[in-house]
Amino acid sequence: MVFDVIGSVLLALGLLLATIGLYGLLRMDDINHQLHPAGLVTGPAVILVLLACVATGRAEIITSAALVLLFVLITSPLSAHAIARAARRRRRP
Amino acid sequence: MPDIVATIAVGWATLLLFGGGLLLLRSKDTLHRVLALDVLVAIVIMLLTTLSYLRGVSYYIDAALALALLALTSTLVAARYVIRGGPF
Repeated sequence: MVFDVIGSVLLALGLLLATIGLYGLLRMDDINHQLHPAGLVTGPAVILVLLACVATGRAEIITSAALVLLFVLITSPLSAHAIARAARRRRRP
Repeated sequence: MPDIVATIAVGWATLLLFGGGLLLLRSKDTLHRVLALDVLVAIVIMLLTTLSYLRGVSYYIDAALALALLALTSTLVAARYVIRGGPF
């Protein structure tokens, strides 16, 4: 019961963060401005949605979600950094 | 997790997917498209995870793991492509 409430709150919070980030992405024009809300969507929103797996109570779901969580923690800053570096160094036609 | 919460979450994530598609359609150059695809993959990961919570099976999260791996590779290679003006 307690885990149900915790999982539901985490899920709602993650999807809310994703909505806010997507709104920011649609509002901004420059790529350097867009990287900030994109980091919100690819980082904390996904992590919160994955953390909501505690409410399911199934071992296989929690194990898979932990694996994806670890992977997202490593790769989300990497891809954001690659895009920022490309924005800085790209050749202007 | 209650069924109603998981159902609402799947619907919400689907709406977010529409927003990501709009972002992809509105992008002006290559780097904007790379960023939009990165965000779209994050949204698809969320959708697959909530679908897994709804159905109670773990296969969808494994698919999300494979998708995250492919997205990392494609983002790194596409960013390199933008820097160099060519694939190599």
